[in-house]
Amino acid sequence: MSAELLAGLTAVLDWEVLGFLTAGVTLGAIFGALPGLTATMGVAVLTPLTFWVSAEQGLAMLLGIYCGAIPAGGIPAILINVPGTPASIATSWDGYALARRGRAGLALGVNALMSAVGQLTSILFLALLAFPIAEFALQFGPAEYFGLAIFGISLMAGISRGRVLKGLLAGTLGLALALVGLDPMTAYPRYTFGMSEFLDGISFVPVMIGLFGLAEVLAQISERHEVRSLPAGALGRILPRRSEWKQMLPSMMSGAGLGAIVGAIPASGGDIGSVIAWEQARRISPDKEEFGKGSLRGLAASCAACNGAIGGAMTTMLTLGIPGDAVSAILIGALLIHGIQPGPLLFQNHRAFVFSIVFLLVFASLAIMAVGLVGAKPLAGILRIPAPWLWAGIVLFGTVGAYALNNAVADIWVMFAAGIAGFLFRKAQIPLGPLVLGLILGPMMEANLRRALIIARGDWAGILSRPIPLFFLTASVLLPILPLLRAKLFKRGA
Amino acid sequence: MARPDGIAAAGFAALGAYLIVSGGGFPAGAGGLPGAGFFPRTIGALMAAMALGLLFQSRRRGRDAGFAFANAPQTAGAAAMLFLYLALWGTGFFPLRTVLFLTLFLRFLGQRRRSAAGAALVLTALVTAAFRYGLNVSLE
Repeated sequence: MSAELLAGLTAVLDWEVLGFLTAGVTLGAIFGALPGLTATMGVAVLTPLTFWVSAEQGLAMLLGIYCGAIPAGGIPAILINVPGTPASIATSWDGYALARRGRAGLALGVNALMSAVGQLTSILFLALLAFPIAEFALQFGPAEYFGLAIFGISLMAGISRGRVLKGLLAGTLGLALALVGLDPMTAYPRYTFGMSEFLDGISFVPVMIGLFGLAEVLAQISERHEVRSLPAGALGRILPRRSEWKQMLPSMMSGAGLGAIVGAIPASGGDIGSVIAWEQARRISPDKEEFGKGSLRGLAASCAACNGAIGGAMTTMLTLGIPGDAVSAILIGALLIHGIQPGPLLFQNHRAFVFSIVFLLVFASLAIMAVGLVGAKPLAGILRIPAPWLWAGIVLFGTVGAYALNNAVADIWVMFAAGIAGFLFRKAQIPLGPLVLGLILGPMMEANLRRALIIARGDWAGILSRPIPLFFLTASVLLPILPLLRAKLFKRGA
Repeated sequence: MARPDGIAAAGFAALGAYLIVSGGGFPAGAGGLPGAGFFPRTIGALMAAMALGLLFQSRRRGRDAGFAFANAPQTAGAAAMLFLYLALWGTGFFPLRTVLFLTLFLRFLGQRRRSAAGAALVLTALVTAAFRYGLNVSLE
C-alpha cells in the first residue's frame, strides 16, 4: 500500500501534471465565476482537450476545473446575487447580504476558506471510505451490477424534485440512446441506420457538450440573460478574525460532513447538499433570525457543503462506477477514453492511480483556496465580459471539441441534436441528469442482466432472490414512490 | 398555447412505440435467453407506459404554462446560424469560415461591428492554436 501511495504522489508531483492542474483550476475559476458557465459545462467543453495527454495529466486538468469552478461560483453569488454555478445558490443567501453591508471581502474570504475545508474534508471521506466500499463491491456479480444500475437511475428520478415521472422518462431516454451500436452480447448492430460511425454507440462527450454547453447557451439567449453590474467600492477585509472562526466552526464542520454524504448519493450534487446544510446550520444556530440576512454561520455551512459534495461524488464514481453528479458522469466518460474503468476493480488493479486522484484533489483544493484569497478581485472583474462573447466561445470550443474527439463530422451533429433536445427539455422542465445516467448505465445494465441470466440459465427468480440485487430493486421501486406518497399524506393532513 | 407536458408525452410515447416495434425485428435469444431485441422492447414499453402516465397527469392538471420563449426569434436564429456553420464544415479555410460565422453570430446577438469582429478573431485564434497547433487536430 505505501509503495502505491508513493507512486501515486510521485505521478502527481510531475511538473507537467501540476501545470495541467494549475491550468484546470484557473479555467475552473473562470467558468465558475461567470454566471451561466457551470462546472459541468467547463468539464464537458474542455474534456476533448485532454485526450491527447496522459490519464494523469488529463484528469489533473478536469479535476482542477471541477474543484475550481464550484468555489468560484460563490463569487458572483456574493457580489451580484447571481450564483455562478447551481451549487452556490445557498451561498448567495447570506453572501450577498454581507456584500450589501459592505463586507464583500470577508464573504469572499469565507467562501474561499470554507470551500477548501469542505473539499479537504470530503477528500478525507473519499480516502477513508473508498477502499472499504470498493472491497465490498468486489463481491458484486452481474446480477448485483444490474440491480445497482437500476437503483442509480431510480434514485436520480426520485430526487428530481416534483418531476419524478419526467425524471424516469429522461432516464429511459438515456437507456434508449445507449442501445445505439452493437448489441453487447451478440454484436448485432442496433439503430445505427447503416452508419459506421454509430457502431461503437453514440459518443458520450458530444452528447454532454450539447446537453450542458449548447443547450445552456440557447436557454440564456432565449431568456435574454442580462449583463450584470458590479457593486462599486472596495472589497474590504478578506480574512475572518479568530472570533469569527470560532463562530463558524460548528456550521463549517456540519456543512462539510453533510455535503460529503449528500454528494455520495447519485445525482444529488452540491446544490442539494448546500441547501440541506444551510437549513441544518440554521436549526442548530443560536441566531436563527440572522440566516439569510448576512450570517457568517449560514455562509460557512453552504460553502463547505457545496464543496464537500465533490469528494462524496468522487467516492461513488470511483468505487461503484456510478456518477454522483453530472460532472462525475463526464469524468467517467473521460476516464473510459483513457482506458480506465471506474469501479471496484480500479482499486484492485490501479491503486496508485486512485492515490494520484486523491492527491490531485488535495492540491486542487489548496490551489483554489489560494486563488480565492489572492485573486478574488481579478475574478470579480471578469464578470464584466459581455455574455454574447461567452456564448460564442462555448459554441466554438464545444463544436471543435466534439469534432476533435474522433475527427468525425457525425459527432458535431450529435452535439447539435443534443443541444436542441437539451434546450427543449429545459423548457419542458425535464431534468437532464437522469438522461445522462441512463446513457452511462444503459450498457452496464443490459450486459450485466444478460450475463446474469446466462449464469442463472434463464432463471429470473434465481437473480431476484439474491440479497443485494433484491435490495437494490426493492429500493428502486420504493424511492420514486416515496415522495409521491409523502406529498399525498401531507395533502391529506392539511 | 403549447402544452409542454402533452407534447413531451406524445414524443416519448411515439419513441416507446417505435422501440417496441423495431425491437421485434432483432434476432431472438437462444435457449430461452433474451436476445438483441429484449432491451429495446422493454425500454420501449416502459417509456410508452410512463408517457401515458405523464399525459394523464398533464390532462388532470389542466392547462399548463406553455413553453416560455421570451426571445424565440433570436434563439431560433442563433440555432439556425450554427446549423449552417456545421453544414459547411469541411468546406473552405477553417479560420476564415469561423471568423465569419462568429462575427455574424455576435452581430446577430446585438454586438457592435468592431467588437464582434475583434471577439471573433480572438476566439478563432485561440481555438486554432489549441486544437490545430496544440493538439495537432486537422480542422479542415
